[in-house]
Amino acid sequence: MRKLLLSVSDGRGFDIGLVSVPLAFLFAMAGLPLIYNIVMSFQEVDMFSLGTFARPFVGFKNYITLFSLPETWPILRNTAVFVIASIAGQFTIGFALALFFWTGFPGSSWLRGLFLVSWVMPGLVVGAIWNWILSGDFGVLNYILREVGLVSGNIFWRSDPDFSLWAVVIANIWLGISFNMILLSVGLSAISQDLYEAAELDGANVVQRFFTITLPMMRSTIGAIIALGLIFTLQQFDLFAAITAGGPNNSSNVAQYWAWDMSFRQYDFAQGATISVIMIVFVMIASVVYVRSTRHEVRG
Amino acid sequence: MDIRKLALIGALAVAGVSTFHASARAEDVKITVWSLDRDIQPAPNLIKDFNNLKNGITVEYRQIQFDDVVSEAMRAYSTGQAPDIIAVDNPEHALFSSRGAFLDLTDMIAQSDVVKPENYYPGPLKSVMWKDRYFGIPKATNTIALYYNKDMFRAKGLDPDKPPQTWDELVDTARKLTDPAKNVYGITFSAKANEEGTFQFLPWAQMAGGGYDKINAPGAVKALEIWKTIIDEKLASRDTLTRSQWDSTGTFNSGNAAMAISGPWELDRMVKEAKFDWGVALLPLPEPGAKRSSAMGDFNWAIFANTEHPKEAFKVLEYFVSQDNRMFKDFGQLPARSDLAIPSSGQPLKDAALKVFQEQLKYAQPRGPHPAWPKISKAIQDAIQAALTGQMSTQEALDQADQKIKAVLG
Repeated sequence: MRKLLLSVSDGRGFDIGLVSVPLAFLFAMAGLPLIYNIVMSFQEVDMFSLGTFARPFVGFKNYITLFSLPETWPILRNTAVFVIASIAGQFTIGFALALFFWTGFPGSSWLRGLFLVSWVMPGLVVGAIWNWILSGDFGVLNYILREVGLVSGNIFWRSDPDFSLWAVVIANIWLGISFNMILLSVGLSAISQDLYEAAELDGANVVQRFFTITLPMMRSTIGAIIALGLIFTLQQFDLFAAITAGGPNNSSNVAQYWAWDMSFRQYDFAQGATISVIMIVFVMIASVVYVRSTRHEVRG
Repeated sequence: MDIRKLALIGALAVAGVSTFHASARAEDVKITVWSLDRDIQPAPNLIKDFNNLKNGITVEYRQIQFDDVVSEAMRAYSTGQAPDIIAVDNPEHALFSSRGAFLDLTDMIAQSDVVKPENYYPGPLKSVMWKDRYFGIPKATNTIALYYNKDMFRAKGLDPDKPPQTWDELVDTARKLTDPAKNVYGITFSAKANEEGTFQFLPWAQMAGGGYDKINAPGAVKALEIWKTIIDEKLASRDTLTRSQWDSTGTFNSGNAAMAISGPWELDRMVKEAKFDWGVALLPLPEPGAKRSSAMGDFNWAIFANTEHPKEAFKVLEYFVSQDNRMFKDFGQLPARSDLAIPSSGQPLKDAALKVFQEQLKYAQPRGPHPAWPKISKAIQDAIQAALTGQMSTQEALDQADQKIKAVLG
């Protein structure tokens, strides 16, 4: 008995007690809804059975119906294109900017701070503004492209099936750059200057220093950022709602917007849950990458 | 804590208890109403007036957001916390009435001196019906017609008193009015992939003998063909596919489109913003003498089936109906009734437009009614978008929509 008390007040029991609080919180706030969602994807759900748990189970019927829809594969492909292009753009530009500000010219630190403004803005506001920029007839983007001489006619970014997905990608890249840049800047400043000085003495040029010092030292930061980027991009909903609403003809529709449309526009909650489950699988993979790449960052 | 503070708290507590007593008189029946009306719109104001009558019924109001109406109502109903009265969008009315969630009002309406079915336009009335019984009362109504810029008609040598009457004339007029050098499109409307697209397209299909249950009828195919011509020949902006009716009509107001298809909700803004002479015409027909049709929008009142006070709730609805003559003057909305004369607003353009909309309302038809309307509507939106982007022919697109709709209709 005394041993148990001792363990609770200062020992393994205490540790378990501390861990169990956030675990219980996580389970109640994230675990239960997740399980509920998965259960729902195997049931027949409509508006009238939403309030009860006793719904008929239909096995994999929701999944079979989903994959027999003509729009399913194009939408999943759009999701992949959206995620890869967004992350590639956000990361490349974000990294370039981080390196640029890292050179430490006068005023660089507060300029870098200003970049965060884009991250602070609500997604719907960003979407509404990009909606104007991308507008076909009077959009600023078309005006610039025309004046520069890149295009002769207007591009209907939002309404041309060849461009609609890219319209959202452009807006999303803009939105994500600052977040990438700040995190990468933190990673950069953690690299010891001694390494560079030593390499310089040994005659390594800028490119060599970048590939042999900067990139390897940043590996865990980069892993974390890409995993976080994947999660944020898969969450991106506001921009779709504000710019294209998934149209025209689903050419810019992605899984996350589609799940909402199924559940709250067509009231097909089971189908909506099914799409979410498919997305959960991808987010899980991203989470594993994130956890692995940040694992050795534990500080005592 | 000193004695003065204690006294103050005591006084506050007493005051709190007494106001609590005053607001909840034991004999009052409490009725809750949910709608999406804001403070300048009908519901909250009518409720305030109703409560001032002090007739033993106290109404409590809660505003809900447009996107949440159905999901909130369903959640509340299935957990037994539904309000007594709700305002629901007319194409979603059947979803509730078909499942017995709304109270059958047929007998109460038959005995009522205030609510008389014959006073209503047929379209709105049909939207509250399910299997020949009344499950609600139309709250307000709207429809769409053709706005046109009379100054632009004159500039292009067209007669401003002869707006296009047929589809062919409409396309022809749009061709004449389109002026890319001046950034002017002939016409603007909305083919957006949401309910607005269906709302705008169905009247065209119905005028030509189609409908949601026969969406691939030859007339409907021709209607979509006309839309495609308008988009392909750049008589309307390509952004028609992703722009709402409100945003599209905005380009008409700013002089970037010579005609616009939209509803009476545009009137107040147009009076303020449009710096030109404009008029409203009935929707053009497929050919002279064809059957007219139009869309029918806006909300219906309904009483939830599990209300504890059906009689009192109906009394509240009767009061709302009795105030229908204030709808346009005070709130800029059209009552769904053909027996009311709407007083002049003092704006000649607005009054003239109102006459056209009232005429158009006679031909307005509800979407559905069908409990799975959102799915039917989605099939129609997909077809419109697939055809207008050129990914399918109009016939193929509407055939596919027909298949999907037949599967829903069973």
